[in-house]
Amino acid sequence: MSLRHNLRVVRAVAAADIRLTLREPLFAIAGLIIPINFLLLFLLFALSGGQAPVAVVMNDPGPLAGQFLQAMNNSQSFFIHTASSADAEREIRAGSVVAVVTVPQDFDAAVSAGTRVDIPVEVNNLNVDFTNDIRRALPLSITSFYANAFPEQVVVRALESDVQAHDTGYVPYLAVSIVVAGLMLAALLQGSVNAARDYELGTVKELALAPVSRLTIGLGKILGSAALTAASAVLVLGVVILLIGVHPLHPWEVLGFGLLMIAAFLALGVLAGTLVRRRQQAIPLAVACVLPLFFLSGPFGPANWLGAVPGAIAAVSPLTYAIAAFQHAFHGYQTATQDLAVDTLVLAGFTVLTVVITALVFGRRGVAR
Amino acid sequence: MTVTAIELIGVTKRFGSFTAIDNLSVRVERGEVFGLLGPNGSGKTTTINMISGLSRPTAGRVTVLGVDMVADPQRIRRSLGTVPQENALYEELTAEANLRFHADLFDVPRKGLQERITSLLELAQLEERRKSRVSTFSGGMKRRLALVRALLHDPELLYFDEPGLGVDVQSRRALWDRILELKERGSTVLITTNYLEEANVLCDRLAIIDRGRLVALDSPSNLRRSFGDTVLDIRTQPAPTEDLVREVRALQGVVSAIASNGSIQVTVEGGGDVTGKVVTAVVASTSLEEIQSREPSLDEVFLSLTGKELRE
Repeated sequence: MSLRHNLRVVRAVAAADIRLTLREPLFAIAGLIIPINFLLLFLLFALSGGQAPVAVVMNDPGPLAGQFLQAMNNSQSFFIHTASSADAEREIRAGSVVAVVTVPQDFDAAVSAGTRVDIPVEVNNLNVDFTNDIRRALPLSITSFYANAFPEQVVVRALESDVQAHDTGYVPYLAVSIVVAGLMLAALLQGSVNAARDYELGTVKELALAPVSRLTIGLGKILGSAALTAASAVLVLGVVILLIGVHPLHPWEVLGFGLLMIAAFLALGVLAGTLVRRRQQAIPLAVACVLPLFFLSGPFGPANWLGAVPGAIAAVSPLTYAIAAFQHAFHGYQTATQDLAVDTLVLAGFTVLTVVITALVFGRRGVAR
Repeated sequence: MTVTAIELIGVTKRFGSFTAIDNLSVRVERGEVFGLLGPNGSGKTTTINMISGLSRPTAGRVTVLGVDMVADPQRIRRSLGTVPQENALYEELTAEANLRFHADLFDVPRKGLQERITSLLELAQLEERRKSRVSTFSGGMKRRLALVRALLHDPELLYFDEPGLGVDVQSRRALWDRILELKERGSTVLITTNYLEEANVLCDRLAIIDRGRLVALDSPSNLRRSFGDTVLDIRTQPAPTEDLVREVRALQGVVSAIASNGSIQVTVEGGGDVTGKVVTAVVASTSLEEIQSREPSLDEVFLSLTGKELRE
């Protein structure tokens, strides 16, 4: 079998898969929409959990009270707006704010005199996560206020030195991790659905009886699935870059690692589809694979911060290396203990290994038992 | 060039504790149309899957055109054409797209491909539907298209799994004509079927398999002869008694005698002498209303060999 014949088969299998996918709009749309949904859901989760909505009743218009309000704003734990006492009360009863903080009328005078000031805080302790945010952040705001307003009275200071060149926000950090998970999901969906289709429709016999290697057919299927996965990737990246405003520091790395990730996860998808042999099983399997792997692969911070057991799982998850590589591509720093070369090697090795395993599973003896 | 197209030597295929094929040995010569005949679940498709290299035998050896199908199936794959039972066509692609895809897989030269596709589609009376999606085809059209696809790369050996399955009478006839044309051109064709008429019309030789075992192997006419030369359907009034049936069965040259619905069916070998003896015995004990003489059918051969109907 010549190289020319191999290339002809790769092209033919890829083209057939693209055409077949486009003629089944339901599967094509699912392949495009599900990763976007995944991205939006997780971002909403991150945004809703990030800051607690708080109403502040400013009964003292003085400058110190103003500084205190500023300290609360700077704590990045509250989503603050000022309101009248009546409005704030209405809002907390309606459940639209987590807490009402009331700055008393004599705040400036009492602070200046060094006398005790009680700041009433009414908390809707329905959700302990938000409640604890308030309980932690308010004392921090008070400390921060004093450090700024009376620097000579606060003698203990933290002297911070940064490992990274710049700070990265929680949402931009998480958004990049979610992009990687979205790409993985898109690739798994396309790869597994395209592979399962041939078993489901019986056309796998046509492929298996052809005078070509299984590897060639596998490569054709990966290439065919790559086209729609790339479309899905463009959508996901478009949302992150254009809507959320997270811009990559190294665009070529985004392209290179993006392609490598698509190859790796498509190979995994084709393997999954070859094993389950039914498209209806392939879709939930893809989602079920991505969700736990996402949480175990360092989406919120470096994977080795997860602890011993999750860290060990993260070490063997290709998603860990993909997230680390994309964090570098977007934010310019390395989150994991290994460098980019290791990320590249792991992803490339994983791709090759998965393609070989897929070729073995897609053996002709596995077509008709 | 070897004269043997396909050889199975002591082939066994097991799925767990179930034995689908049990020590099957068959040889198919080049240029013959060979049939695997058996009821559903008898192991025909399993056998064809092993011959085409889709499945490995648990024991024994399968060689096709001199090549061991376990060790090196890739070597002769280009020489084989297969029409699987389920057609394996991409239903959402057009007929032509399916054929072009097959041409790519089998590396059929692009030069002259268009003409070859056209001529094969014309032969299968599908030319007008070349741009139609396969999903719009009838069962018979799909079978014909699957046959066209199998012939596109001009194979030396064609496997056709159940040619008559799910097709109307006209389409079946058209498929048979194509297979007979291949036979005339000297191609080797292996078919599986549970239609006796199909086996009778198409096959030079037949292997009858039941529960994975070879029950008989010969030409259709020899198989019928082995069952007996002639079947006599004799209607009497009153109906034949058990004693009469026993008496007829005991006559020399009588292979079998069965009473049913007021008639007696007698299979004989030895021609007119035996028929005369049977008639004499019948008229001696009852009144003969009608007698018909005919060749035994493959159904009867199958029934006698396996004790059951072919498609029960």
